[in-house]
Amino acid sequence: MGKSGHGKRSYSVNANDYKLLEEIGYGASATVFRAIYVPYNEVVAIKCLDLDRCNSNLDDIRREAQMMSLIDHANVVRAFCSFVVDRNLWVVMPFMAEGSCLHLMQTAYPDGFEEPVICSILKESLKALEYLHQHGHIHRDVKAGNILLDTNGVVKLADFGVSACMFDSGDRQRSRNTFIGTPCWMAPEVMLPEKGYNFKADIWSFGITALELAHGHAPFSKYPYMKVLLMTLQNAPPGLDHDRDKKFSKSFKEMIAMCLVKDPAKRPTAEKLLKHSFFKHAKPPELSVKKLLADLPPLWNRVKTLQLRDDAQLALKLLPSAQQEAISQNEYKRGVSAWNFDIEDLKAQAALEDQD
Amino acid sequence: MKGLFKSKPRTPAEIVRLTRDLLVQFDMDTIRESKRDEKMVELSKHIRELKCILYGNSESEPVAEACMQLTQEFFKENTLRLVINCIPKLNLEARKDATQIVANLQRQQVQCRLVASDYLERNIDLMDILMTGYENTDMSLHYGSMLRECIRHQVVAKYVLESEHLKKFFEFIQLPNFDIAADAAATFKELLTRHKSTVAEFLSKNYDWFFAEYNSKLLESSNYITRRQAVKLLGDMLLDRSNAATMTKYVSSRDNLRILMNLLRESSKTIQIEAFHVFKLFAANQNKPADITNILVANKSKLLRLLGELKTDKEDEQFDADKAQVMQEIASLEPKELA
Repeated sequence: MGKSGHGKRSYSVNANDYKLLEEIGYGASATVFRAIYVPYNEVVAIKCLDLDRCNSNLDDIRREAQMMSLIDHANVVRAFCSFVVDRNLWVVMPFMAEGSCLHLMQTAYPDGFEEPVICSILKESLKALEYLHQHGHIHRDVKAGNILLDTNGVVKLADFGVSACMFDSGDRQRSRNTFIGTPCWMAPEVMLPEKGYNFKADIWSFGITALELAHGHAPFSKYPYMKVLLMTLQNAPPGLDHDRDKKFSKSFKEMIAMCLVKDPAKRPTAEKLLKHSFFKHAKPPELSVKKLLADLPPLWNRVKTLQLRDDAQLALKLLPSAQQEAISQNEYKRGVSAWNFDIEDLKAQAALEDQD
Repeated sequence: MKGLFKSKPRTPAEIVRLTRDLLVQFDMDTIRESKRDEKMVELSKHIRELKCILYGNSESEPVAEACMQLTQEFFKENTLRLVINCIPKLNLEARKDATQIVANLQRQQVQCRLVASDYLERNIDLMDILMTGYENTDMSLHYGSMLRECIRHQVVAKYVLESEHLKKFFEFIQLPNFDIAADAAATFKELLTRHKSTVAEFLSKNYDWFFAEYNSKLLESSNYITRRQAVKLLGDMLLDRSNAATMTKYVSSRDNLRILMNLLRESSKTIQIEAFHVFKLFAANQNKPADITNILVANKSKLLRLLGELKTDKEDEQFDADKAQVMQEIASLEPKELA
């Protein structure tokens, strides 16, 4: 028979063939486990999604699962298979032993990575974006937390929990009108739902991710959601322009500035950006990224530690500020669900918050 | 002078012809083994070009005139059949591109006509090939997505609804691979909701076997997701005005009531809420048969307690109003003499 793009080995859709081990990631309605696929005695990652907690329709979940099983690119996490166990959807994926770039920064590099490392990570991620865009997918949640690393230094972009496929409907319509993603990484046009957005939204998020890798956190990350929305819309785009940023090269700064242009039409495509001089001398990640990983405890211990730290921080928080955050969070949700972005109204509300 | 030696860019129609020529060779298996890889690269390239004409790329939007030329040439001959036949021979990327091309072509018009619909009407047996996709893991997502786009045309949906294929969906929906089962479920839903008049006619003609299968295989399935999707779709079908006759018949059956009452008691809240939207029709029916009334009366206190506790996560005024009305109706019921 002809060549099939999936000449890879197949995994069974029987839960008994998998042995769940430690938790390696957690989110609102999904938990990711390290697991063993018994027939091959191979380590895999399984994302368990509680379907009863996803009360929206299942079409988005179907699209995500289908897209992930049709992926064939070295820098994009694919799904080996997916099946339903009780009320959970299990998505079986390759195990990325070192977790996300965000995890790694939180554990060992709180002020970010060195430029050559960032360059390798970004180049691999950009190749993933080029592939996804070519296939009509907008990732919509590009950030360090979704860039995964393997022990050998391999870099893969993951988590299409919110990715939209513009080709799915066979439509010519090239813009989406859904408000989704994580505010710090969100392009300005994504925050104004009536405008619609396209592939270029990922390029903005990519630029923010570059800053995140350089500093250890995204710009505006310490502010409440509402404030982030406003700052992204009103302020000049963030960049590598602090004193501590002097160590970074001119071409790195320039590359970021190209991504963080407010007019999406003026941002380069992933394909163009890959040709930027910054990426010309990128070292293979097997060399640069691997060095970062020496002497770290295994991923599941790191996750546990981070989880405990998160909990402790929450407990320590003084009530008034915690309340403030909750209010801001609610306001944000309201704005999102109602899609009523009255900018003047937002400004007034944010001004009130500032006075407190 | 340089421009003289540059090859002219091909027109959309030319690319369609080149693609078709190669597809014929692959379809008939007339390519020498040594040439195979080379020709496959060429074919994949043309397919990618066709996709770019129809969808544009990250730099440019599609051009209506080019799309029209492409569509016209494509359906002038049997290109669609060749594409469908050759999908298994293509590599993954070309399969995905081809699937997207076929999807897009279903909406393209030439002189205000959906040429794809006319073509499919004459070549309706292609649906039989697409249906085989669900039995082949490698093909299912490609054929499945093509099939779903083809049933946008009413003639095609009617053919699939009235063929033996429909029965197979009850099995495909429960395949263990989530991506494939969910694909079959999405198509099944399209078939039963998209073209109102066709669906209404189908349901009234096929009521007995269809709902017997629907109840036993889907609503009483041991698979959570099957039950959840089935009860949601049942609500969509029965609440559609064009299916009023079917709805009246459905809510007059005590067996159906028993199944819905069981779903109402599920531990999954999502299923409970969806089941309520069907259950309310039994209660609201002003011409309830005596046996329906008597079941509701016999379970009055249990039902009222259960409904009293049933709440949506988000505030939903319509749900609350429906619930209040249903509870009031049940509370006021008196037993009836069986006729």
